[in-house]
Amino acid sequence: MGDVYIQGADMIPFGRYNDRSYFQLGAQAVLGALDDAGLSIRDIGAVYASSCFNAQSMLGQKILKEIGQTGVPCINVSNACASGATAVREAWVAIKAGIYDMVVAVGAEKNPRGMLGGAPFEGPPPEGLFGSESMPAVFAEAGMVHAQKYGTTIEQFAEIAVKNHFHATMNPKAAYRSETPLEDVLASEMIAWPLTKLMCSANVDGAAALVLVSEKKARELGMSRAVRIRASILTSDPYEPRNPMMFDPNSVTRLAAAQAYEMAGLSPQDLDIVELHDCFAVAEILHYENLGLCAEGEGGSLIDSGATRLGGRIPVNVSGGLLSKGHPIGATGVANMVEIVEQLRGEVGARQVRDARIGLAHVLGFGAAAGIHILEHA
Amino acid sequence: MAPRPGHRSIRVDGSGKPFLQGYRCGACGAVVPEPTMACRACADRTPPAPFKSPETGRLWTWTVVQRSYPGIAVPFVSAVVDLDGGLTLKGTVVGVEPAQLRQSLPLRLVYDDAGGGTDKDGAPWIGFHFTVAGEA
Ligand SMILES: [Zn+2]
Repeated sequence: MGDVYIQGADMIPFGRYNDRSYFQLGAQAVLGALDDAGLSIRDIGAVYASSCFNAQSMLGQKILKEIGQTGVPCINVSNACASGATAVREAWVAIKAGIYDMVVAVGAEKNPRGMLGGAPFEGPPPEGLFGSESMPAVFAEAGMVHAQKYGTTIEQFAEIAVKNHFHATMNPKAAYRSETPLEDVLASEMIAWPLTKLMCSANVDGAAALVLVSEKKARELGMSRAVRIRASILTSDPYEPRNPMMFDPNSVTRLAAAQAYEMAGLSPQDLDIVELHDCFAVAEILHYENLGLCAEGEGGSLIDSGATRLGGRIPVNVSGGLLSKGHPIGATGVANMVEIVEQLRGEVGARQVRDARIGLAHVLGFGAAAGIHILEHA
Repeated sequence: MAPRPGHRSIRVDGSGKPFLQGYRCGACGAVVPEPTMACRACADRTPPAPFKSPETGRLWTWTVVQRSYPGIAVPFVSAVVDLDGGLTLKGTVVGVEPAQLRQSLPLRLVYDDAGGGTDKDGAPWIGFHFTVAGEA
């Protein structure tokens, strides 16, 4: 069975689009990815469309009404923050199965404004009475487990934000492109200890798209800019004793990582670049260990060492990450892969990771889902 | 009007006294906070059986919430508490200095009026919070 290749990739600049709908944003990203691949929507056999909040509105069909109603199947998916990776994986499955030669995966989102989180229950509004269900609090609590076990400090968590905000200064498509020194990160509004405002991801709009093709088609189209998908993995949360009272970002990611490395026949040491789900600064340190980028308990010293900064041993979130590039929920998983694709092709300019050949993209959906893709320049 | 449970783990006995209910799998011992059709841990088809949970336990993790949704009073301590007997609950810890908080700190559950609100028929809610064990 042949491999699956990414032939086209694009994302729109992330930010606020008050005068445009989420499907217009998605359509723009699809056109960008098609242009990047030198293809037309008429070439595409199926559309896998992701949006956490609007998948049920027939997102894929709305996109085709903008750019060409070719009559192909549209599969609309919602899987929390892993929605985008889910669309890409379903696209990968379809080509792997030999059903299509060329498909599009697109993620598009206009997030609701304000702080996200919370679940319905008939009773008094639980927030504050029974702890907090807000996303910052939930991830703060996960970070505090690490802090208690390994002595990780608020400064180490804050350095994640310093690094990713620095990276974003080199990404013209990032929503926030200002450097934030450590003092600024620590002095910004405390949301839920140890998370300050600058350690929480940016709630913005955005869209990103990929064109996936079969190996046969990639050879016809030319392999010079093709990127091979070495692993495509999606997991749901395995049983953990405190789940769901305590959200566990770790086990679902570890399950996906083990499967991804096995599918790719690679180990973490083989990676040149990683885009991981830094929805909150504490999460990046947890995922260093979940993805095997360092040993257990060494996430804090990994950020201290500078290894995950541009120019380090294994640069992480060179795009600026969710913290500063932004986190339009359903687009995030596709956008992480767009960054890896463009890095592997050597097309990102100032933030280029030298000689990047193999990259990993990870997302984590609350509830829970993890998606991991490992990509290699063809 | 008789008070109603304001949290899914609270039940009220025949004399009107609240208690905590968890569910334990007879096959693997896993404890979960809600009834399920089979065991989510081992997939055994006998549903985990209800049990009355102890109301003492230990702090697993926490955060001090300084900003929440609009209208929610801050700051407050949001905590994940492992109760003796295996049930884990999320709750607010009251009357504690943040500097006192550490993993394994003994805590006790205290029933309250869930902020004083009522349901649409006027029945008061029963809620709970945690305090440091050994304190009034
Ligand atoms: Zn069981």
